Amino acid sequence: MRAVAAIAHNTFREALRDRVLYLFLGFAVVLLASSKLFGLLTVGDEGKVIKDLGLAGIQFFTMLIAVMMSVLLISREVDSRTIYNILTKPVRRWQFLIGKYLGLLATVALNLALMTAVLLAVTVVYLGEFDAGLLFAAAMILLEMALLTAFATLFAVLTRPMLGTVFTLAVFVIGHVSEDIWVLTKHVNSGLVRPLVAALYAVLPNLERFNFKSEVVHDVGISSGEVALTVAYGLAYTAMVLVLACARFRARDLV
Amino acid sequence: MADVALSVEGLYKSFDPGLFERRVDVLRGLSLEVRRGETFGFLGPNGAGKTTTIKAITGLIRPDRGRITVCGLPHARLEARARTGFMAEQPYVYNHLTGREFLEFHAELLALDRARVAGRVDEVLDLVSMAGHANRGMRTYSKGMQQRLSLAQALLGRPELLILDEPMSGLDPVGRRDVRDIILAEKARGTTVFFSSHIIPDVETICDRVAILVDGTVRAVGEVRELVAQEADAYELTFVGGAGGALRTPLLASHEGSDAWWVRVSGEHRDQLIRELASSGARLVALSPVRSSLEEFVIRHYEGGGR
Repeated sequence: MRAVAAIAHNTFREALRDRVLYLFLGFAVVLLASSKLFGLLTVGDEGKVIKDLGLAGIQFFTMLIAVMMSVLLISREVDSRTIYNILTKPVRRWQFLIGKYLGLLATVALNLALMTAVLLAVTVVYLGEFDAGLLFAAAMILLEMALLTAFATLFAVLTRPMLGTVFTLAVFVIGHVSEDIWVLTKHVNSGLVRPLVAALYAVLPNLERFNFKSEVVHDVGISSGEVALTVAYGLAYTAMVLVLACARFRARDLV
Repeated sequence: MADVALSVEGLYKSFDPGLFERRVDVLRGLSLEVRRGETFGFLGPNGAGKTTTIKAITGLIRPDRGRITVCGLPHARLEARARTGFMAEQPYVYNHLTGREFLEFHAELLALDRARVAGRVDEVLDLVSMAGHANRGMRTYSKGMQQRLSLAQALLGRPELLILDEPMSGLDPVGRRDVRDIILAEKARGTTVFFSSHIIPDVETICDRVAILVDGTVRAVGEVRELVAQEADAYELTFVGGAGGALRTPLLASHEGSDAWWVRVSGEHRDQLIRELASSGARLVALSPVRSSLEEFVIRHYEGGGR
């Protein structure tokens, strides 16, 4: 496991030393700070607007980091052939991929933690309250990003960086409308199309499962069963995507 | 098998260039054996399959057919890779790391004893003359410096088999001399060195044996002296007495010394000349092949002469 940890650490270090990361972070901080302004411009509950915008901003910027950095850092390792030095050492290919994945996830988690800390600070300063629910919502965003980073890893193995980025973004968008696909199956009468749409729904991830923003902002209770099911779903799906990525990478010639 | 560091048997590899294009056969039944402790040169023109062979040995690509063992172990085993040090043709380094961090990262991959990593990193930095630049970011390194660091990571785990793909390309004369010295030092330590190169004088100086690869197969393998001797197409003879310069055998050149004759004869007429000298009562003092250089030998093979 030393190899996995070393690769994860190297990936994390590379991401932190990459200035693109700080750009995203800067944007996020600006957005979170400006949520106060949006709150003032909005009639109604200022606190809810700040939390809602803050969580949406965190999700958006974390998604950008997950998608861009994941595809970029894995492809860079292959394209710049630094991978040659790694895989000619006593390191299995799956160890390389899982190390990269964990390093990327740690980067995403650090950024998410920083952005969440900023949001908490904003709510404490402007609203005078510490909402622990925000931590829960952020944790669910992290789970969603764990799955999205796994997809980015899979696409980085399967295709070129640009296409990988587009495909991962597509998974993010489709993942948030997949429930609509389910609704669609109920309205399709064609005998052939219906099972196809149903199969599509079964295969595509349902990223809306991880969206607890409304519940947290509006202080709606969430059952522990639902949370457990969501965590199990996220972890199982992530594991499955990573297994696919490792299987594909195992057979790949590094020319 | 005990004295074989690397064995490659019947290696085939082809690549699919894409839709509507024929597969390209790069390796066609390549076989070779590298003995433990020897320095083995791997020569071939561009596109002969040298890098493909090295990638197959190091596990970066999977051969279609064939068998590779490293120190008696199947090459895909982690134990085999732990015994191998590899330096790629281009220095592939991380711009975000310093030279020292780069080596520490590779020490972790090799699972070296953590208590000894710092000492070993210092050792290899000294070996490649990079100790003074170890704490600088690698993005500031010249190509030669990156090449040295790349060699350092290959040496880090004290490998039994050191595989170097064009280790001297891009180096200045001092760098080439340094790399040559490192290879010789590794050989003295008992390390088997397998390296491909285009720089034939270096191969000639360093290698115990060489293999010449053309079109994905080994065309010739052996000691440098032995290979060029096989190719000798002329012989020089020194003799005393007999008919002197009045010989019937066609000569390429002749010269009368103070007390002996020196003549050069083609390989085709060598035996005829020896018989004539014997019948004329001359005494043969010396007979030696006229050596072509390894460079000439290699070029003949590259151009198809060795087929």
